[in-house]
Amino acid sequence: MITDALHSKIETIKSELLTDTVAATTLNFLVVVDDDKQREWVNDRVTLIDGKHPARTIVLDTLATGDNAAIKNDRIEIATGGMTPEDVRSLVQGLMIPEIPSVLWWTGDEIAGQPLFDPLIDIVDALVIDSSGSRTDNRTVLEVADFAARRPTVAVRDLAWMRLRPWQDMIAHFFDDPNLMEELFAIRKLEIVSGSEAEALYLGGWLASRLGWMACAHDEFCDRDGEPIPFTHRREGAGRRVRSISVATGTSTYVAALTPSDEGVVSVAVTGTKARAERLVPLQSIDNASLIERAILEPPTDEVYETALHMVGKILA
Amino acid sequence: MPEGTATLTRPADGRVNPLRAGVDVNRITDPCNIVFFGASGDLTKRMLLPAMYNLRLGDTLPNNYGIVGFSRTEWTDDEFRDEMKKSIDEFSRSGPAKDPMWSDFAKRLSYVAGDFDDVKCFENLKAHLENNDKTLGTGGNVLFYLSTPPSLFSPIIDLISRSGLGPEDNHTGWTRIIIEKPFGTDLDSARALQAEVEKVFDEKQVYRIDHYLGKEPVQDIMALRFANVIFEPLWNRRYIDHVQITAAETVGVELRGGYYDTAGALRDMIQNHVTNLLALVAMEPPVNPRADAIRDEKYKVLSALRPIDASRVMLDTARGQYDAGSIGGQPVPGYRTEPNVDPHSNTETFAAVKFLIDNWRWADVPFYLRSGKRLARKTSEIAIRFKQIPHRLFGELGDSIDNNVLVMKIQPEEGVSLRFSAKVPGPKMHIRSVSMDFNYGTGFGVVSAPAYERLIGDAMRGDATLFTRWDAVETAWQAVMPILERWETTTDESFPNYPAGSQGPPSAERLMAADGREWRKI
Repeated sequence: MITDALHSKIETIKSELLTDTVAATTLNFLVVVDDDKQREWVNDRVTLIDGKHPARTIVLDTLATGDNAAIKNDRIEIATGGMTPEDVRSLVQGLMIPEIPSVLWWTGDEIAGQPLFDPLIDIVDALVIDSSGSRTDNRTVLEVADFAARRPTVAVRDLAWMRLRPWQDMIAHFFDDPNLMEELFAIRKLEIVSGSEAEALYLGGWLASRLGWMACAHDEFCDRDGEPIPFTHRREGAGRRVRSISVATGTSTYVAALTPSDEGVVSVAVTGTKARAERLVPLQSIDNASLIERAILEPPTDEVYETALHMVGKILA
Repeated sequence: MPEGTATLTRPADGRVNPLRAGVDVNRITDPCNIVFFGASGDLTKRMLLPAMYNLRLGDTLPNNYGIVGFSRTEWTDDEFRDEMKKSIDEFSRSGPAKDPMWSDFAKRLSYVAGDFDDVKCFENLKAHLENNDKTLGTGGNVLFYLSTPPSLFSPIIDLISRSGLGPEDNHTGWTRIIIEKPFGTDLDSARALQAEVEKVFDEKQVYRIDHYLGKEPVQDIMALRFANVIFEPLWNRRYIDHVQITAAETVGVELRGGYYDTAGALRDMIQNHVTNLLALVAMEPPVNPRADAIRDEKYKVLSALRPIDASRVMLDTARGQYDAGSIGGQPVPGYRTEPNVDPHSNTETFAAVKFLIDNWRWADVPFYLRSGKRLARKTSEIAIRFKQIPHRLFGELGDSIDNNVLVMKIQPEEGVSLRFSAKVPGPKMHIRSVSMDFNYGTGFGVVSAPAYERLIGDAMRGDATLFTRWDAVETAWQAVMPILERWETTTDESFPNYPAGSQGPPSAERLMAADGREWRKI
């Protein structure tokens, strides 16, 4: 319930916003904090984002209670603990600027069964989430896949997926050589080692969706001719990090793996009949704030991601 | 071999790597050798080699590449690598070089010692590059980078040709050349240099570098103009009163006193950097984003600059030279006491010029350009000042209704600011000016690539968009020559005429005041 005291504070905030100096505003940026330990980390990232992309930023702290609502550092912070989800939604809607993109950064690991999630999703265009935030298992990515199937009109931006871009480039680069194109359709085995499940599942789903594979058994794909492709994924090392990916055809094995001497560098090599000399690829370290920035700047539809996520759902079904 | 290469992602039979959908390729596809003439020089150490290393760290270099240093210093390959590692450790934006990337990169570095006037040394270089083609798979492609003193440009180009390194003799790949600025010291010397260049290289193979054009905000100018519908209808003489382009520095000549004293602000900044900004602001929309379409439009607008008649030089220009003063609370010396500067120097460290553009869009709209050293603040910006409203409806006594101003900020701030009038809340119709600001920001976590990385990468790709074509260079020289000739033949007795840390010389203020205008504060 919105108390009179809180209502009064919100009205004061609205007045302050109206008299604020003129500034460009590029988006409504809603941020939900539901973990005490993450509050400071989240706030630091929000500061970076709205410093660069002037936004109507509204931070909803589900753990804080009382009639607290205030503008701090150009952002609106509201304690929503004890309020009904519908009250939160109506309150937030009144503070949002119409006609500009609205993005929800859901900083928690769970979305299924979270009372605030559905009401807020109804008023935004895009969801930003991290399937390998603090979890290393596959639960969050499964929830994301379920959500995307249920609400296809909301754009989903998963930081776990976005971290994979350098690895996707390395795998694609194996087959950029026209002479190796046929090898893509002769893949017989896929092995991925990563610190959390989401990355491995996304890479597997991506390859499968791009190459027309089907999920035909637990941890097994079938190619377009029905040939089985075992998919091995093993958890090892720090979360959110891929350690190696190996793609084998009948004659050659394509491997990209972190180098032992520097885990910021990947050794890329091919053995077998298509053998090629080792190549070193530096991994660009991309911090979370930059990933979130990319997430809010991505176009509304991303067919490559959507089909990969759909395949992840199939793998986990 | 003709320019233009097939990409590796699309085979000749039209098939596309299905894994490339949505996965951009930033990597340069063509293998190549890049040869740095003047490899032991300051520019190579501070900028060029660190730029190459960062291109490697960004996985932008092609799979097969070779980097060859050429200069007089007697170094072995290993000594060159050691020197370059020191440079990278000191100057690279990514910090000190680390293994395994450094060792991998160092394997691609090699060195040829030789004189710039000895054809045998160039023949050695040719053999060296042919060996790289075999051992590093560089495919016969070669990019020369002239980072020597300008006096060596012509001899090097001549020996490139005579030793069989020129494009005519390259039957397996492409040959390109990057030429550092300044391209000539006046119109005649620029034409003489161009005559030498033309003997060996086709214009499409020549990349005249002006690192200013590689800066991100300079590229944003075109986006602002041609990716928005709201500005272009106002972008003409009907609505614009005048344009001010400023490139102000707080630094003095530092270690470049010897060079600078023979150049001055007009040659060093106005003829190239600032004129290029003018072209980007004033050009017509190109028909497509390709290099030649953009460069055609830049040339057209530069060729419409009204020549400043000798009799008007003193009226339409201002020059200055800094005296001792204070910047940021620190005392700084005057220009004439800087190292390697003539104590009686007549060289300008500040230049301001009023140009008119004789075309349909800009007739009678003055473009005021200024650039100087040791000014109050480091700032580069383009300010578009719109005309006064035609009829004043609002405002109480004492209110002033300022002209709208659109400012494109290039450095150190990067962004756009629009000034407009708004009503002050209250019962009366008071009007005040407000500013709507947008900052591009410089990224967090990811540092935007410095200009040299962008430009060297573009040259390796064969994208000449951000390089200056000869016709634009020649036209820019034509525009400033009457000023140069007048300034070089007359001593300015007022020099030094502005204290370091100030807004510039009084003559610059007079230039604007004569038109009833004033400069924006630096």
